[in-house]
Amino acid sequence: MFKWKKLGRVFNPTDINDRSWISEFAQAPATLIFDDYVRVYFSCRPKPSEDGQFVSYCAYIDLDKNNLFNIRKIASEPVLLLGNRGTFDEFGTYPISVIRHNNEVYAYYAGWTRCESVPFDTAIGFGKSKNDGKSFSKLGEGPVLSYSLDEPFVISGPKIRNYNGTFYLWYIAGQKWIISEGKPEPVYKIRMASSHDGINWVKVNRNLITDKLGKHEAQASPDVIYKNGKYHMFFCYRQGSDYRRNIERTYKIGYAYSIDMENWIRDDEKAGINISENGWDDEMVAYPHVFELNGKTYMFYLGNEVGRYGFGLAELDGDLV
Amino acid sequence: MKWKKLGRIFNPTEHKLSKGCKIFAQSPQTIVFDDFVRIFFSTRNIHENGKYLSHVQFVDMDKSLQKLINISKNTVIELGALGTFDEHGIFPMNVLRYGNKILAYTSGWTRRVSVSVDTGIGLAFSNDDGNNFTRVGNGPVLTSSLHEPFLVCDPFVKVYEGIFHMWYIYGTEWQIYSEGSTPERTYKIGHAKSVDGIVWKKDGHSIIENKLDNECQALPTVINIDGSFHMFFCYRDSFGFRETIGRGYRLGYAFSNDGETWIRDDEKGGLSLSKEGWDSEMMCYPHIFKCDEKTYLLYNGNQFGRYGFGVAQLEEL
Repeated sequence: MFKWKKLGRVFNPTDINDRSWISEFAQAPATLIFDDYVRVYFSCRPKPSEDGQFVSYCAYIDLDKNNLFNIRKIASEPVLLLGNRGTFDEFGTYPISVIRHNNEVYAYYAGWTRCESVPFDTAIGFGKSKNDGKSFSKLGEGPVLSYSLDEPFVISGPKIRNYNGTFYLWYIAGQKWIISEGKPEPVYKIRMASSHDGINWVKVNRNLITDKLGKHEAQASPDVIYKNGKYHMFFCYRQGSDYRRNIERTYKIGYAYSIDMENWIRDDEKAGINISENGWDDEMVAYPHVFELNGKTYMFYLGNEVGRYGFGLAELDGDLV
Repeated sequence: MKWKKLGRIFNPTEHKLSKGCKIFAQSPQTIVFDDFVRIFFSTRNIHENGKYLSHVQFVDMDKSLQKLINISKNTVIELGALGTFDEHGIFPMNVLRYGNKILAYTSGWTRRVSVSVDTGIGLAFSNDDGNNFTRVGNGPVLTSSLHEPFLVCDPFVKVYEGIFHMWYIYGTEWQIYSEGSTPERTYKIGHAKSVDGIVWKKDGHSIIENKLDNECQALPTVINIDGSFHMFFCYRDSFGFRETIGRGYRLGYAFSNDGETWIRDDEKGGLSLSKEGWDSEMMCYPHIFKCDEKTYLLYNGNQFGRYGFGVAQLEEL
């Protein structure tokens, strides 16, 4: 079992008072490492509209490389614009994942649109940055990864990686909307696609991670890191219904490993991180992102209510083996 | 081209259709059998919230296209599951024979909040001459992409020299044209190719030149006659098209020698509104096909086919 030492909460969006677009939520942290700071992207929300609807924006904070609890800078505006009327990302951009490529930064994000019979749908969009990730411009008004025969809706949760010159995208795809207490709830599973240019993708078209909680288990945030000859995936999973506050059913962090990126062995026992007895992460741990810095391995993750009150940091005691 | 209009051949309000559908018989599309022509179309019933749902049914006509022989007892394909792209309707549905199956490329409709609808193109097949179709999957085979952000629909598929060709439409914008009105869409005709009918590669550009400033182009239908390609489609203004005669759908025409580059020449198409009657205000959703060496074009008339479809016969190319 991996041994993670929780270091505490790094960022609480409810502490921010001078940016109306950051009111609550700091979701799905993803890092971009610079010489002397770490840029952490996340998705945040302004206060909901009168009818209770949220939109979400992508932002970042820059953390001191030698002290990840020292916030040096907070984005002054969202890094991506919301889409025009009728487009897939009209109502939100969450989550986001970034990677350097040549002299640019590529961003993959899930765009949100609102539907009548179900609350939302999502597809994955693409933006490029020429200013070190301070802002991204979209290549087109539509998504780069959208619905297909076997992935009918809720294409989301992108995690972009590049190994040996090929882009890999781990993401989630919806399988079914189930009705719980009269409301539709999405069931989604971890999937994968590859690309030579980051724009044209070939999907693997099957679930990568076996279910632990039955067919209504929802899996998210498939965060992959290569170390010691293996691909390690930390992800989160929850029950299909009553998963928001009930600690028996909320998101928990799972783990799987692979030699070839396509065939994965799930071994949640090994994940080594769970909810705390009390505090900001005592109901839920979710949306892990694992990265290396200064010879150490760290994990950012979300706490209660899927990051409504921010994200925290854990440090691995040992190595990813 | 010289056409002879044979008049309206099916009016849904005069027949009993399944699932309580009473109005609309839109986008007629054919499979020709030995002694009859099966014409699939989309008709509508009313959903519990008062909005329409489009369902596909068919009628069988004798080969003169004048005599109704049979009406389908059920819809031929169920609408999609909760949250899928074709949950709220299938309109239109393009059918073609392939091997011993009939393939159907469907336009699935799902309702949105900020705009009325989005669409995608699905695939289904029938092993029983089109009485029942089974989906290949719950999602679409052709959908939104970087430069075709929404409203991918209206497929028309032909196989030429072993390659599947699809002509279809995609949305380019949703606009509010006057204060207080609802958003209206604009869409254009595109083309994609496939070796298996499932994985498609879009050309990635509009293939038919615009004639109007704010032009919607819809439902392309293509036929190859003696080595040349002929396309009919319908076009209209992006707004004011429901209430203003002259801004509604008319039939457009283009031709091509290679199936790739098209020259638009609506005049040459030779089909225009009638002076009076069922197709005097609007002509839309054309479908061109051959039957016993004759070439026909099915189409809808006034009010988007609320009162059915008719046919014209080609007399001179």
